[in-house]
Amino acid sequence: MIFVSLPLLIAVALLVLGQIVSTCDTPRRARRVAVTAIQVLFAVALLGLLISEFAPPDPTLRGPGALGGGSGSWRALVSCIHLLIAMLAVGLAPVASHPVRTLVGILRLMAIACAFGATEAPLLLAGLWAAGLLVLLRELRASGDGGVRLSGVLWRYHAPSLVLAVVGSLAFLVGWSSTGAICWLVAIAVREALLGAHGWLPLLFSRAPLGLAVAFVAPQSGFYCHVVMLQDVSGSAVAHAFAFLGVATAVIGAMLGCAQTEARRALAWLVISQTGLIAFGLENSSEVGLTGAALSWQVLGLATSGVVMTLAALQARRGLLGLDRPQGSFARTPRMAVSFLFLGFASVGLPFTLGFVAEDLLMQGSVDEFPGFGLALVFATALNGINVLRCFFALFSGTSEHIGERDLTRLEATVLTAVMAALIVGAALAGEIAGISLPDVVKSMGP
Amino acid sequence: MSDQILAGLVASAVALPLLGFVMFALPAWFGARFGERFVAGSVGLLFTCSSLASGLAFLALVFSGRSAIEVPLGEWFSVGSYGFHWTLIGDRLSLPFAWFAAMLVGLMAAFSRRYLHREAGFFRFYLMLVLFGTGVELVVLAGSLDLVFVGWELVGITSALLIAFFHERPKPVEHGLRAFITYRLCDVGLLSAVVWLHHAVGHTDFVSGQPWLQLAVPSEGHHAVWVGFLLLFASMGKSAQVPLGGWLPRAMEGPTPSSAIFYGAIAIHLGPYLLLRAGSILDQFPAVAWTTFAIGSLTALHGSIVGRVQTDIKSSLAYGSMTQVGLIVAEIGLGLRVVPLVHIIGHAAIRSLEILRSPSLLHDHHYLEEAVGTRTVRTPRHSEGVIPRGLRSWLYRYALERGYQDGFLREVVVGSFLRFAAVLGVIDSALTGWIGGRDAVEEERPR
Repeated sequence: MIFVSLPLLIAVALLVLGQIVSTCDTPRRARRVAVTAIQVLFAVALLGLLISEFAPPDPTLRGPGALGGGSGSWRALVSCIHLLIAMLAVGLAPVASHPVRTLVGILRLMAIACAFGATEAPLLLAGLWAAGLLVLLRELRASGDGGVRLSGVLWRYHAPSLVLAVVGSLAFLVGWSSTGAICWLVAIAVREALLGAHGWLPLLFSRAPLGLAVAFVAPQSGFYCHVVMLQDVSGSAVAHAFAFLGVATAVIGAMLGCAQTEARRALAWLVISQTGLIAFGLENSSEVGLTGAALSWQVLGLATSGVVMTLAALQARRGLLGLDRPQGSFARTPRMAVSFLFLGFASVGLPFTLGFVAEDLLMQGSVDEFPGFGLALVFATALNGINVLRCFFALFSGTSEHIGERDLTRLEATVLTAVMAALIVGAALAGEIAGISLPDVVKSMGP
Repeated sequence: MSDQILAGLVASAVALPLLGFVMFALPAWFGARFGERFVAGSVGLLFTCSSLASGLAFLALVFSGRSAIEVPLGEWFSVGSYGFHWTLIGDRLSLPFAWFAAMLVGLMAAFSRRYLHREAGFFRFYLMLVLFGTGVELVVLAGSLDLVFVGWELVGITSALLIAFFHERPKPVEHGLRAFITYRLCDVGLLSAVVWLHHAVGHTDFVSGQPWLQLAVPSEGHHAVWVGFLLLFASMGKSAQVPLGGWLPRAMEGPTPSSAIFYGAIAIHLGPYLLLRAGSILDQFPAVAWTTFAIGSLTALHGSIVGRVQTDIKSSLAYGSMTQVGLIVAEIGLGLRVVPLVHIIGHAAIRSLEILRSPSLLHDHHYLEEAVGTRTVRTPRHSEGVIPRGLRSWLYRYALERGYQDGFLREVVVGSFLRFAAVLGVIDSALTGWIGGRDAVEEERPR
């Protein structure tokens, strides 16, 4: 019975871990303790995934956290992804910009993200939605004047989305499904920074500690809500409008990403573009497209978060990094450069990684229903690839000067190795991963 | 020779380079260091074996009178009705190409051991060379366009990284990025064609045709024409065809062995290879065939004119390559099939030798003059007697300006893109300011 609600178990464990970490005297020690504990939790989640895959379905276990069926495997998989994101956000968080308090905030955000997986009730989801936002705003406000101003901006964006989520949940409760779905879709559009409601994300990435930004953005809680609540709208006019918004976000995000002159903002636009891809994919009524979107969601969580956190580690060594001229040296930090390049390309479909599988399924699945949009996605992916290589060249080439920066520490290398291995193993087991990347209820809705 | 042995030979032509990459990359990530002799020897051996495997398979194919060896390696992943299959084919196009490519990579590995001796990036060069070789073998032995795309991407990435091999200087990095941008944008053509073919035909396998296996032609003409044009666009980027070839002379910034194998021998011929596989579409749709012929002819003319005024040997050879590849593309457009293959192998052999000898050009020249005992006469100016005086100066300027293509791409294409991105940036900034308030705009300037 201990595995009945794995996401909830992990959420509670992360909250407890946050309390333990808050007692650490230095950020360095806090980081080490947190990463070790997350590794243990990851092993537990992986065990849960294996049990749910190989154990026969148990009819006595019901509910969102139940294992022993397709949805149970899906939840275990999502928990594993969340734990890897947590490992990245904590393990690569620079100690200078991420004091113990911020690390605790990251763990709380990830606990809330995991808790999403334990429920499908709209009101509870709205409550978790609010809790995540409040944790982020609290952490930002505690980090000084800049954080206070940033939290004000975020509040202006997210307060309406929170209200819409609550209204949408109430509408579902009283049976107004269409109203509820529209309210939730708009709320999700804000939370996932789709075009028009995206302005907060580049600001968060450029001003906030990157670990905190990743912990808030990468779990893509809005899309979780979409998957568990809103598949009924698939194929409707609203869904097509949302799909169009997703495509526009993907293409314009990719274009603006290529035109940025500051590394953090360029990666913020990469994230925006990829959330656009996922938003588009989730509106597909084909199982292929939906699976592609779900895998893109995982790839964004692992690969894109990995790139962002590698940048955070690099900035901790070299200061704020621009893209207007090449200013790094591959030879000085080769493992960091390889991580950046591998994860960056994996996020845009590098062959032999999960990113390639996600991209392939997304394109193939969407072309029947949205032929024009499918080709736009190909273009967006191409531009994202250019954005990644441009960032790589600007950050890791162009000079032979050495300011004494060191390559990845052992902890950082361990975390990045785990994430890169997950992307490669995920590709090797793509058939199995694709099979459990969506809950059964969603797959059964395909044509 | 039994079918299983033949299949094993074809599979090992791809598997050996891939094994080599894994064998080097994985230990290197964990800090292992390899000696130059071991690295060069291993790479040379692996590609020699790969070459032998392809050569033996080709001989067996010819003497058995079979048209192709199909090697199904299983399914990578499948969702719903869509599946990604690993299928290799050995036929009269792929096996000579695979044999020749592997042999050249092996020779380049042997040559580079001395050429790059004690170079800081010695191991990086070999790692990229092995990955490139894997990509090429995948492209040429792929049994479907899906698999071609996997190898195609690997070739593009390794090409850009090797152009920027001397990463401490800004120019090679800039040129590597430029080549990658061209590749990536043209990859849109290949990926779109893959998706389109799945949509129109249901698969992208090379199925039948003479003298080798070719793509299945969609039953509806407009689908076939679009797929043909998309494949042509993809091959234009990889093969530096007009007006996308400006990256080619700049790509010579990389180490000479990589320039030889990429831009003299193999990578640049992958475009024609793709067109040869798409011969079924070219045969049935004259619009695609004549466009192919026109682009090839224009490229040959352009390369020939511009190459005459180059003042350095590598640029001159780059334009020489462009001219020959243009001719090959024109031959394919004219409906020839075996002639272009012979032309590819002949040109690749001679051009790679020329590029490899280019650093010792002056030495070779002196040696030649000493051998003949007199000063060598300059090449006769055939063209000056034929071209009218008025046209001559125009052509001279055209050649000096490299056909005005760089200016056109810089000012019109890239300039328009950046202007559009700037407009989007202004709109984005205004929207963010409107929603997020003054705090959002203070640091949110259009970039």
